[in-house]
Amino acid sequence: MKDLLRLRTSLSEEIEALLNEQIKTEAYSSAVYLSMASWCNRNGFDNSASYLEKQSYEEREHMMKLFRFVNDMGGHAISPEITNIPQEFESFRSVFEIALQQEISVTAQFNRMADRCFKAKDFMTFQFIQWFLKEQIEEEYVARRVLELFDVIGEEGTGRWEIDKHIPKVHYDGGESAK
Amino acid sequence: MQKKLSSQLIEVYKTQHGGVYQCNTKNAFCLEFGNSRSFFKISDFLNFIKKINGIDIAEMAKNTSRHADIAIVMPHYTERCFVLTITDVINLREIVNGAKFMLQLNSILRECMTTLV
Repeated sequence: MKDLLRLRTSLSEEIEALLNEQIKTEAYSSAVYLSMASWCNRNGFDNSASYLEKQSYEEREHMMKLFRFVNDMGGHAISPEITNIPQEFESFRSVFEIALQQEISVTAQFNRMADRCFKAKDFMTFQFIQWFLKEQIEEEYVARRVLELFDVIGEEGTGRWEIDKHIPKVHYDGGESAK
Repeated sequence: MQKKLSSQLIEVYKTQHGGVYQCNTKNAFCLEFGNSRSFFKISDFLNFIKKINGIDIAEMAKNTSRHADIAIVMPHYTERCFVLTITDVINLREIVNGAKFMLQLNSILRECMTTLV
């Protein structure tokens, strides 16, 4: 009998569901970063607001990359419903603590997906998400370094103003500076 | 051994209440249920299976109001409107889930045979 299931899509139902879950996670991250940008803007942290807006845009790009992959592979990419976006944050520091926790959670999700792809022998999808795993090295590094600024500079006096000034300068060079 | 109903339809799964057949000419599935036939493209068929599996039978059984006695499924990709009692839902679930299992089995067997060759 002709294999119509396989003709339709290269993705198994399980992997397609995982990819759609990841699409939702990236969309959620994007929305949270945008909310953080708004909070920073309202509280006078302009540089952080711009940095977080840029992060929001990047997360959306990640989402679109996954979205297009699912459709390109003959699957059904689902436009995600996003709810429960926090609008208020306890403090300037807590914004970046939540950002780091979010990145750690995204990394864990990609690791689980890589594991499932490997077990299901879906090496096409496994190869596709290598890009995201590499990207997460940068995301976690930057989120962690930003949080460390709070310890290094301190929040007393003009500390928060200094931290806000330094945040956009944090970037990951992939270890190139060690050469 | 798969039965061919006609030169076009191959039986995928059948029960006393109906069956699913694959049409290799149209690359579509034919669902026979309740004395009528509906044709689905593969992605629409999988979507239809999700809708049927998503019907809350326990709620239908628990709820004493008259509107809970039937479930209406009106997928936009078919002209047919499915008006189902609890028994219909159970019978239809058996047919579509059985068909899905057979299709997945067919995929696995084809992959094994391709690897061997």
